[in-house]
Amino acid sequence: MPPIIDEDKCTLCGNCVDICTEDVFFGSKKKQLPRVTYPHECVYCNACVEECPAEGAVRLRLPLPMMLMYKPAPTA
Amino acid sequence: MTHIIMAGEQMEADVLVIGGGPAGLMAAIHAAESGAKVTLIDKANTVRSGSGATGNDHFRAYIPAFHGPDMEPVVKEVAKSQAGWTRPQSFVRTWMKTSFDIVKMWDDWGIPMKHEGRWEFSGHTFPGKPFTTLKYSGQSQKPILTKEAKKRGVKIVNRVTAFDLITDHGISGAIGVHGREDKIITFSAKAVVLCTGGCVRLYPGPTPGWMFNRADSPHTTGDGRAMAYRAGADLLNMEIPMRWAGPKYFAKCGKATWVGVLRDPRDKPVGPFVTKPDRIYGDPISDSYKGLFEDYMKTGKGPVYMDCRGISNEDYDYMMHYMKHEGLHGILHHFDEEGIDLRENPIEFMTYEMTTRGGIHYNEKGETSMPGLYAAGDEYFGGISAAATFGWIAGGKAAGFAFGRDAPSKNAGKESSEALKNLVREMRNRKDGPSWQEINVALNQVMSDYIGPTRSDTLVEAGTAHLLRIKEKARKDLVAKNQHELIHCLEVLNLLDVAEVIFAAIKERKETREKYIRVDHPYKNPAFDEKVLVCRKGPEGPLTEWKAIND
Repeated sequence: MPPIIDEDKCTLCGNCVDICTEDVFFGSKKKQLPRVTYPHECVYCNACVEECPAEGAVRLRLPLPMMLMYKPAPTA
Repeated sequence: MTHIIMAGEQMEADVLVIGGGPAGLMAAIHAAESGAKVTLIDKANTVRSGSGATGNDHFRAYIPAFHGPDMEPVVKEVAKSQAGWTRPQSFVRTWMKTSFDIVKMWDDWGIPMKHEGRWEFSGHTFPGKPFTTLKYSGQSQKPILTKEAKKRGVKIVNRVTAFDLITDHGISGAIGVHGREDKIITFSAKAVVLCTGGCVRLYPGPTPGWMFNRADSPHTTGDGRAMAYRAGADLLNMEIPMRWAGPKYFAKCGKATWVGVLRDPRDKPVGPFVTKPDRIYGDPISDSYKGLFEDYMKTGKGPVYMDCRGISNEDYDYMMHYMKHEGLHGILHHFDEEGIDLRENPIEFMTYEMTTRGGIHYNEKGETSMPGLYAAGDEYFGGISAAATFGWIAGGKAAGFAFGRDAPSKNAGKESSEALKNLVREMRNRKDGPSWQEINVALNQVMSDYIGPTRSDTLVEAGTAHLLRIKEKARKDLVAKNQHELIHCLEVLNLLDVAEVIFAAIKERKETREKYIRVDHPYKNPAFDEKVLVCRKGPEGPLTEWKAIND
């Protein structure tokens, strides 16, 4: 569930824990891998991704009920 | 189970700002520039909190170099817009007059307010009408405003939620609850500025059971309105509904950033204003007809699509640039993952849930009905530019007020702090009972069924009785297993107070006007022309009063 932290890339800086509006990382400890305690409260604002200094260390997975509805392009 | 004890802490300031969005940060900056000692508290972290967290891209403004020397056509247009039609014209005039100064300030601080070196206006405009929304690149507005506030010595206290104002001998500060420690903080201040934003989790969102899929930040839960109400301040127009529209099912504001034509499933434009993608106008049909997406679905003519096919390469780049600045990164990421290309795939739009348009009654000086209490921003709906402008104004006025009075007595807030300590201690130590989610869902249900799109006397009566029962149980039985849940518990208590006021206001406004519909009073009552409905706390619930709009 979102956000997803890549253990190998995360530098344990804690930026995402500090800035998340919804505090989905509540209970995370300093200098440890962030814990996603409240995944259902993520609003997909992307702030954690933007404030992360290590590219690819955090990404969001959109839950299926929030998938966009769109028209397919006509097949050639 | 360990018995939880709430620790206490005291802090002092001349001006206390509650909420660190654009309004709160601008209020804090101006108050500090005026020489006041300022503390700003934020429920999250001002760097990325609230509805402007990851950006905005349009800002209502009067720019003399663009509009020419006459401001009045712009004032008239804004007064008719969604952000202005319930406000006195003098309020809108002050807003537009000050907006250019704010724009210049932001530009100096590094928030790009120009497009390729020029003032660019687009979106939320009907062909032939004056332009009022300045295009800007606001992706970094929150980090930049936070930096500017700190530069001026503002003390920022993050992760603290204010719950009650201190009212001993006038407004004397507020009591806050920490979101990560069991701690109550008493903020003593000579003046308070409320800037907590909108009122989002009142009605069910687009996805059943998915409480946080919302067009605006679901963390903004009417805390300011509820605090002001409990302290005795006036709320205004709480019964007037507001609805957003945007992509389905990924709820996000920012409709005006899309450059396309709203079309039905057979590709016929649903509005008369544009027939091909046009970056200057977008498609303004949904500005004057927000319920269109819902109506097309209900009548089987839908769905309605935002169709960007046929967009020029230049306009496509422009739209994608501004989507980033409007904070739509989550959606852009989803496009990439799903292989959605706006040049080929029309995106379905929907009408989102209701909230209230009204809020704390603040005038063009940011003053509320209580001396020493100021409010700005979406404490009464106005959008980003109103937030920045009236935040700035309210901060200056609050500093002036603070200089004219002595510091509150040392005992101020003792009683309210003890009362809040008891309330949260009980919630934290209770073993079983409803969670905040239960109460929030029960509230959403009664709002949607009894004062949703269909409103009448009998529905209001039945719904009010149920709401009051939920409210009693919430105060008595809510359980918070940790500090995070505790903040959500306080949020639902605030939402319940706001809901009670909305019920009372709907009961009083027995007429149909603009977007406000009473099925049992389907006519406009001229007696209410040029009037606003004021609600304030009485001994047994909300009291209502009609006032002239310019009072």
